[in-house]
Amino acid sequence: MRSTKKRAIWVSPWGYSEGWLFGLGLLITGLALQLTTGGLDSNTLSWPINFVIGLGFTGLIAGSWLFFRKNSLVSWLARVPAAITSIALVTFLVLLMGFTLQEDAQNPVWVQKLGLSNMTSSWPFLLGMAFFLASLGMATMKRLIPFKTKNFGFYLNHAGLYILVLAGLLGSADLQRYTMELHEGEIIWYANDEKGRQVEMPIALELQSFNMEEFNPKLAVIEPHSGRIVQETVPEMFEVDTGNRSEIYGYDVEIVRFLEMSGKVEDRYEPANSFGAAPSALVRVTSEDGTTKEGWISSGSFMMPHSLLDLDHEYGYALAMTIPQSSHYSSDVTIYTASGDEREARIEVNHPVEAEGWKLYQYSYDERFGRWSPSSVIEVIRDPWLPVVYTGIFMVMVGSVYLMTLGKAPQKKNGEEL
Amino acid sequence: MMPFDPTWFTLSSILLWVFAMLFFIFSKRNRFFAATSHSLFSAGIGVLSVFVVLLWQELGRAPLRTLGETRLWYALFLSLIGYATYLRWGYRWVFYYSGIMAVVFLGVNLAYPDNYDKTLMPALQSVWFVPHVIVYIFAYAILAVSALVAVKGLYMEYFRKDEEWSMQLADNMVYLGLGFLTLGLLFGALWGKEAWGHYWTWDPKETWAFLTWIGYMGYIHFRYHKPAKVVSAMWMLSLAFVILLICWFGVNYLPSAVNSVHSYTN
Repeated sequence: MRSTKKRAIWVSPWGYSEGWLFGLGLLITGLALQLTTGGLDSNTLSWPINFVIGLGFTGLIAGSWLFFRKNSLVSWLARVPAAITSIALVTFLVLLMGFTLQEDAQNPVWVQKLGLSNMTSSWPFLLGMAFFLASLGMATMKRLIPFKTKNFGFYLNHAGLYILVLAGLLGSADLQRYTMELHEGEIIWYANDEKGRQVEMPIALELQSFNMEEFNPKLAVIEPHSGRIVQETVPEMFEVDTGNRSEIYGYDVEIVRFLEMSGKVEDRYEPANSFGAAPSALVRVTSEDGTTKEGWISSGSFMMPHSLLDLDHEYGYALAMTIPQSSHYSSDVTIYTASGDEREARIEVNHPVEAEGWKLYQYSYDERFGRWSPSSVIEVIRDPWLPVVYTGIFMVMVGSVYLMTLGKAPQKKNGEEL
Repeated sequence: MMPFDPTWFTLSSILLWVFAMLFFIFSKRNRFFAATSHSLFSAGIGVLSVFVVLLWQELGRAPLRTLGETRLWYALFLSLIGYATYLRWGYRWVFYYSGIMAVVFLGVNLAYPDNYDKTLMPALQSVWFVPHVIVYIFAYAILAVSALVAVKGLYMEYFRKDEEWSMQLADNMVYLGLGFLTLGLLFGALWGKEAWGHYWTWDPKETWAFLTWIGYMGYIHFRYHKPAKVVSAMWMLSLAFVILLICWFGVNYLPSAVNSVHSYTN
């Protein structure tokens, strides 16, 4: 397959060499722009500028293919060498991003100057993506004319990816992402952006209640002074529940009674449902020499100190109950809209609620209080480009199923061993 | 606090597969050995499947949270895919390699027993959890086979040049694997929108998943354009698998990933 004569560079048709040089040129240009202008402020590209850019870029690609497809650059962009060299450029840039902690002021100055720690808003990244999209768009145009049904899978993958990436890049300027800190009984009509500035919202939220369910706590052997779990016992930690029994660090431990919510009464615990109640358990510990000991342990809460059971161990180890991990948490809120509507909703992790074009997410709560948190933070997000991005996503999804069918049966040579 | 001991299941699968492969060596000439080998290998897959089902029931959540748990699935899929590839196309060496890799992955679980527990953080409690991870592990297992083809091909290229070698199996595996990889990535994007508010945030795991994906995409385009340049293609494929492994295991150790939302192993 090797040609005897070496092809001169920049002579049509262009191939890989031109691609590498083109990519290098973009990289140098990008770095120069980065050093002189200091990166991109994505907010300057918000609606309708991003829409115009997207339309212009797509129009330019379609137009060049329709009218100048004989041009060296245009015909080259539509072919595989441009695809591969643009993929290589994007891969190189993302690889740099993969090794550099993003959006971190700890990075060395030169890393920040070159835009490596803010890769997605740097000039080299933008130019690399533009090259990638131009190649992707041109390849789609080339196959679209003339239209053939057998190319359907190709269209889905290439056009789908083009739509997805373009809308994702341009749409990020219109993405609004704020948080609303709610306190029970207060109606909040504003949100805070990441710099803490107030932003007026078309909706208001009132927190009715914050709810949390927890997994049962676990048992652990700890060093009482430092509070650290004894390393060797980590795999032996077991779930606390009435009747559970297991060996932990040579001690036979039985949970006589488990109270999910309780309060301390003298030297024991009783079921309680009041503010600040904590889980507790009555445990029976039998050590290797046969001595048995019974006592209450509790992981405590912001209201109550924890309780340990001394194990009579030579290093003074004690049995403790770990702080339970949350299994679900959610906020019951009332949503008020500017038009006077009012409705109740539950906002839960993984189950956002939609209101007036905004999506409301359970974001966080006051961790000091755990399940008794009096406040809840709701993240509010508006992404008007989402339908376009999802169109791309679904096209590529269908396209990926088509991709799976491309394999061919291998040719076996006369029943030879493969 | 398991009512059953995970060790016995993993150990049984390992032993069944090891003996299946030993019998397989002599299976070409002896039908009894062939039948024994097939039964043992299927039994190994069966035992592991039962274990995964029991574990799922016992934990009350899909056992897909920790790296140890994903290794179980990986061993299961790899043995299944290797076996199916052998049955379908007759590649004997794929049978061995996938068997050995499955044994290695289960062996890691045996050496570092997982502390299986029921806790599943709220962010993972989603209908997307199972499809996202299963599709991904399946893709990883298929792409491992393609990497094996590449490594074997490179060996042939440099040490056994006289023998014929076909990249067809690698290509088939990449088409299939990249299809699943793409689905896994996009399922993740849709889930990300529901759980964290955005479909793509360039979280370190996402960054490396993107690199893995674009690596295989580059491979497909290169194969399409220069089918004769087999050696470069095999190097690309091996490299792509290294990136895949960084994405799967390595990300947790990268300094760039200290803030990742994708680490659930504590």
